[in-house]
Amino acid sequence: MYVVYVLLAFALFGVIEVFYERYFILSANALDAGLAPGSREVAESMKEAIFGSGGEVKREAPWSLYIVNYMYMIYVGSGIILLVALAELVDIKLIKKTAAGFLTLGLAMIIAGLFTIMMDLNILHLHWMFLSPRYTSGMWLMLPLYLVYIPLVIFEIYLLLSHHEHWAKKVALPILILSLLIEFVEFYVQAKLFDMNTARHLWTTYPLLPLYFMVSSFVASAGVMVLYTYLIYRNTDKSKCEDLMHLIQKITLYSVIVLGAYEATAYLFIDKKWAEIILFGDFKFYFYAYLILAVAIPFVLLFKDYTSSFVKIIAAISIIVGTYLGRMIFVYGGNAYPMSDRFGVGFEKYSEYEPVKDVIFFMPPWGEIAIVIGSLGIIIGIYRIVDAYLSVSLMREH
Amino acid sequence: MALDYQSCIDCKACEVACKEENGVQLGADKQRIWVTQSEKSIFGEPFVALHPSQCNHCLDAPCVDVCPTGSSYFALGGIVMTNKDTCIVCKGCMEACPYDARFVDDTHVAVDKCTFCYDTRIVNGEMTTACQATCPTKVRLFGDIDDEESELVQMLKKRKFYVLKENEGTVPKLFYLLPENDDFYAMNSVDENTNIYTWKEFKPIIEKAKAKRSPQWKVVQ
Repeated sequence: MYVVYVLLAFALFGVIEVFYERYFILSANALDAGLAPGSREVAESMKEAIFGSGGEVKREAPWSLYIVNYMYMIYVGSGIILLVALAELVDIKLIKKTAAGFLTLGLAMIIAGLFTIMMDLNILHLHWMFLSPRYTSGMWLMLPLYLVYIPLVIFEIYLLLSHHEHWAKKVALPILILSLLIEFVEFYVQAKLFDMNTARHLWTTYPLLPLYFMVSSFVASAGVMVLYTYLIYRNTDKSKCEDLMHLIQKITLYSVIVLGAYEATAYLFIDKKWAEIILFGDFKFYFYAYLILAVAIPFVLLFKDYTSSFVKIIAAISIIVGTYLGRMIFVYGGNAYPMSDRFGVGFEKYSEYEPVKDVIFFMPPWGEIAIVIGSLGIIIGIYRIVDAYLSVSLMREH
Repeated sequence: MALDYQSCIDCKACEVACKEENGVQLGADKQRIWVTQSEKSIFGEPFVALHPSQCNHCLDAPCVDVCPTGSSYFALGGIVMTNKDTCIVCKGCMEACPYDARFVDDTHVAVDKCTFCYDTRIVNGEMTTACQATCPTKVRLFGDIDDEESELVQMLKKRKFYVLKENEGTVPKLFYLLPENDDFYAMNSVDENTNIYTWKEFKPIIEKAKAKRSPQWKVVQ
């Protein structure tokens, strides 16, 4: 539990840091210069305001680590919930027995994702989402989705834990089908959120974007589920733990194969300027590291069906790190400036009418990094609290 | 707005005037308007092209579509505006803008951009922007593209022009006038993939986008 406190301390530090930087910090302006002409301190402050870090949001990378973490948490959380729903639909008993724990983990990840995005937005203006809504924007569409989705998952957990078995069995199927439908809609809306940015061709030309989000989230979710299974059940029921890990291993392997096939072909369809940046430009090391970690290593480790849990854990960690890197490439790569390919000059980092811009990552502010680290504390904290009261990690028949 | 960029001397008076007039936040990165310098060298002859730029006030603006609170909207006449009071800084509009014309104003915690000096000049009946008024070489010409008799439309009827990133389909309203009597300047400052238009050719594109978007125009908030 101490780990949770440390992680939550990061979150708290991040929140304070973000609030301070965003709402309380003052920077010098022309008025100060007028009030204190010739002041060395004002001159230094104005120099900082003009040539300093440039504020919280970089013009070149409006969507940054916040969005990476939000996407990762939401997609992996949704992926876990979808995988569990599918397992229930096809009656996979082992996952049904552990469904409450998995759903709680998925829900905790979604809440951690929402916490991250809340910190990214101007919290003091959030009420305008309701008071002045534009229903057709991708971001607004996410809102009612969560309002339906989160209570539905909580209701599913309630049904799993409930002693009203007869009633629970009756409503289980409609709830399951509804939740599956909402899951698919969610992936569609998430893809729409990126696809609406017509200027960012990496996002708009990525083929079958909802499918990509779904497949990559399956891989990441399966990796998280392997790790979760090991951490929760390794000491309580060793044989069932191994069976469950073996089952999830298969899901992981199939998902990794589909993701590998997708990534091997996707860049044939992407705007060649963006593909150039990702495959051969400043992002190439990140991209190949992502492929090695999220696809190659897990494939090699999981294909041979080793009995050792250690191998599965290494594969799971490799997937988790790799898929996070994949999300970073997707977000930052979309922000990257497309190269021009002028006649006689070749590829450049700018087009004819635009200034030179780097396409490398920007170092996020410390507050942002602390919030991302702290979001892990939120996941574990929520899970531990729910588990303490409802014993969701117990294997149960239903 | 028409930009006779051939005359730009990169004095940055327009940038200063914009900041001063509109109270834009201090910062090298916090600019509503800017002048791009792009170097090039064809057959060994170095050249620096100067392209003044800002929000293109696209007729079919993607930044308006992605805004979840309606903070980005079309004012009457088609000027793209932002309402800082309702902006939640989701930064979707910054991502959607092909011209990187938007930035976060940290003093208001909201997204900011060029408004064609709507609240400081246009609303008072003036027909020039601060950048136009201050330019010593008369690079910029602001006007009403719906008024065939306006100085702007008369200029566009007289000279050929192009727009930036036309392939994004946003129908921008910054018209870059093709350099006159200087083939070398034109060759070095216009991308080979850029379409050159006459007013007669571009007018139908404007009308089509206007028909699509004008129902969304509303009174400035």
